[in-house]
Amino acid sequence: MSGSDASTPARSDANPDRGSPRSGGSAGRAALFREGWLLVLPALVVLCAVMAYPLASIAVRSISQPEWGLQNYAWFFGTPVNLTVLQRTFTISAWVTVVCVLCAYPYAYVMTVVGPTLRVVLILCVMVPFWVSGVVRTLSWVLLLQDSGAINSALRGLGLPPVRLIRTQTGVVIGMAQVLLPFMILPMYSVMKGIDLRLVQAARSLGARPSRAFFSVYLPLSLPGVYAGAIIVFILALGFYITPALLGGPRSTMLSTLVQTQVLSLLQWGRGGAMGVVLLVATLVLLALAAPLMRQRHKKTGAR
Amino acid sequence: MTMSPFTRVLLGLCCLLVALWLVAPTLVVVPMSFNENKSLAFPPKGFTLDWYANFFSNPEWSSSLFNSLKVASLVAVAATVLGTLAAFGLDRMKSASAGWLRMILLTPMIVPGVVLGIGIYAVYLDTHLVGTLFGFVVAHTMLAIPFVLIAVSASLEVFDKRLELAAASLGAGRWTTFRTVTMPLIAPGILSGFLFAFVTSFDEIIVSLFITSPYLKTLPVQIYSSITRDADPTVAAVGTILFLATTLLIGLGLVLFGRERRT
Amino acid sequence: MTIRRSILSGSAVALVLAALSAPALAQEKAVAGEVKEGSLAGKTLTFVSYGGIFQDGQIAALEEFVQKSGVRLLSDGPTEIAKLQAQVESGNVSWDVVDTADFPPFVHCGTLFQKLDFTKIDVSNIPPGQVGECSVPAMNYGVVLMYKNETYKDNPPKSWKDFFDTENFPGVRAIDGSGDPSGGFLEQALIAAGGSVETMTAADIDKAIDQVRQLGPDTIYWKTGAESQQMAESGEADMIVMWTGRAMTAVKNGAEFTPVWQDWLVVMDQLTIPVGVKDPDASHALINAYLGKRSQEVLAEKTSYTPIHKDAQPEVEPAVAAFMTNTPERQQQGYQQNVKFWVENFPETQEKWTALMSGN
Repeated sequence: MSGSDASTPARSDANPDRGSPRSGGSAGRAALFREGWLLVLPALVVLCAVMAYPLASIAVRSISQPEWGLQNYAWFFGTPVNLTVLQRTFTISAWVTVVCVLCAYPYAYVMTVVGPTLRVVLILCVMVPFWVSGVVRTLSWVLLLQDSGAINSALRGLGLPPVRLIRTQTGVVIGMAQVLLPFMILPMYSVMKGIDLRLVQAARSLGARPSRAFFSVYLPLSLPGVYAGAIIVFILALGFYITPALLGGPRSTMLSTLVQTQVLSLLQWGRGGAMGVVLLVATLVLLALAAPLMRQRHKKTGAR
Repeated sequence: MTMSPFTRVLLGLCCLLVALWLVAPTLVVVPMSFNENKSLAFPPKGFTLDWYANFFSNPEWSSSLFNSLKVASLVAVAATVLGTLAAFGLDRMKSASAGWLRMILLTPMIVPGVVLGIGIYAVYLDTHLVGTLFGFVVAHTMLAIPFVLIAVSASLEVFDKRLELAAASLGAGRWTTFRTVTMPLIAPGILSGFLFAFVTSFDEIIVSLFITSPYLKTLPVQIYSSITRDADPTVAAVGTILFLATTLLIGLGLVLFGRERRT
Repeated sequence: MTIRRSILSGSAVALVLAALSAPALAQEKAVAGEVKEGSLAGKTLTFVSYGGIFQDGQIAALEEFVQKSGVRLLSDGPTEIAKLQAQVESGNVSWDVVDTADFPPFVHCGTLFQKLDFTKIDVSNIPPGQVGECSVPAMNYGVVLMYKNETYKDNPPKSWKDFFDTENFPGVRAIDGSGDPSGGFLEQALIAAGGSVETMTAADIDKAIDQVRQLGPDTIYWKTGAESQQMAESGEADMIVMWTGRAMTAVKNGAEFTPVWQDWLVVMDQLTIPVGVKDPDASHALINAYLGKRSQEVLAEKTSYTPIHKDAQPEVEPAVAAFMTNTPERQQQGYQQNVKFWVENFPETQEKWTALMSGN
């Protein structure tokens, strides 16, 4: 146990005041460590029982049903439609992320510069979607995006031609982006409010035009927030189920829907499991790849 | 940052549009809930309160609401206890393994819901936990622990450990220190963790869809199946009621919180 | 020879006598629609069907049964055979009476669905030829082609052939994707593909499914009847394959669609009891009540579906009457699918059909 302590000298040195008064030596620290384990254990047990074990059983089914082997994975990667859906899942998630970044950036920025009252209102607007049932919100999008829905009624009222929105990728992206927007705004906001605006002023006083000052000073400083938000949104979007299921059509099916169909409609646990494992691995790999960007965020905000 | 008036207006406009986009869609369920037709096709026609009456009189709706409240309350308690314990544990460990453990405890947030759903469904079918209160509570607790962990950890981060030290040096035992110093200071973190856990369970749909049975349906499951199976405006009425209820609660919280800050 | 024959005839007489007296001795024979007062008090039954106005109508038809027997009736759905299979295989059966599409009870008789005990269910009033070993009909109805008036104006589709003709009749098609393949619909696809229904072989299944696939990637597969209704009411699709009851409700709600009655597909849902239900007697009692004259009248009045009690005289309003399929004229226009063929080739057809729906 002391080995793991030694592996992170920077952290334990940085917090000399951590720990209870009686833990002077490494023996005391080890006792604390054991105590820590005991406290974490109950949560860990629940996690193992209803997350780790079920996921493991899915992984096992993916290589054992109907018989042992990799045939389910061979089937997944050998069937064009699965690859199309896999690719589409990534494309839709990417679009959702782009839309979220573009909409969240100005919003988060305004949150940092307005007065306290207006800020509370803006924060409330971000939180409202959190507090309204997710299923109901998706229902709202069905009502809005229908061919006879609110958006098309408005377009018709303005004498414009109606647009097909429901059961299209555009519709799914619009609906998903709204659901995920808070996850983008909040991390951006927390980074932006830490940016020292005097740096921008300094750039301006040195003769930089506003746009230049923004792109060369403010934007780089805010990027960690953008990265963090984008990663969260992208990863959550990959696993989305309800919104694409209700708003989507055959051309906007995402991987989650296929997994559900394989298991609930076809009882193909093996194939469904293989798809699930692919989705899970994709998510974890992305997270691992993105981890350096997240770490960068810690460095920058830590330096403020 | 100094801005040209043009940029200022543009920014304001962007902000307004995004705020509208966040809030307005939800409001579209309100007119729909008064629709006279048994249909979810927009625009609504006529005016009726039947769907509200249906929500309160139809046992399927009232029992699902009751189930959701029951499950969410149990989950909130269980997840708060487990999550708070874990947050304290991780706070003590402060090592590389604590970092790993924290990551592991947060994974339920990023594992795709459907993958988790089929996994839990498979296990619950074998253990006959499909459609049981226990099954729901355990699954939701797992999903809610990360939120409690984040909230409590955040307040432990800013919590000044020297206060504990001071209490201890004045002769307070560990339990007394915890009860009189630590607990009151991190109480807001625990409370917000509790609320997040409650909401997580109350709103959970994907895993619930897999482990539900006719004997135990939660409100989101009932809403989902009503949208897909019945397409009747009761769902819009439910949405309106939920929206009103939460707005009232938040408004109340704001008023109380605001007053507290002023005094 | 003569001795043996006399023994045979003697035992035959004994059998007949036994058959006549047995019900009287063992138990009273069930009468459709009747249930003993308070016989199911404290019990819970889950009735599973396809939701929307259909299930509402079925629940309404069972109201008297619920009140008399004292049972607590839950509804669930939509019916999905795979979901039922998961329940039966794991011994978690929570569905007590299940309304299914045409074929499943014949395909899975004895494995997923119980053989019914016809001393507990009175089937004497059901039109002949409709009762199976594992199921009784739930109602008779139709699948009909609905087209959007605005899209086709003066040149509306007149038959299934036009439905499959995307060149002369462009527009978005919506098809029944609720689960099980529809034999009648596939037969129409086969005809459109130039095949012959009379000499249909297993190879023709591919031909039919290819014809459906050629409708193009914009084709929508609706998952529930309510969804098909929603599509008509919001005008999302131009031609929709609909259950007649949902077509009726959509039009009643203001959908500007017109049915094509030529070759409407004659179908019937089935009522079944899964293997492994907690209380088979209670499930049988529910079905027996469902088949009663008054229940069937209520069902027809609410849904426009044809009752399966020969004496039922539902009083339907005109909007509902327009979609009833039991008038002489409709009976003539109806198209009968080859049930035997589809039951025999069910697993294969289902696999291909599901592949088509999930985009394969």
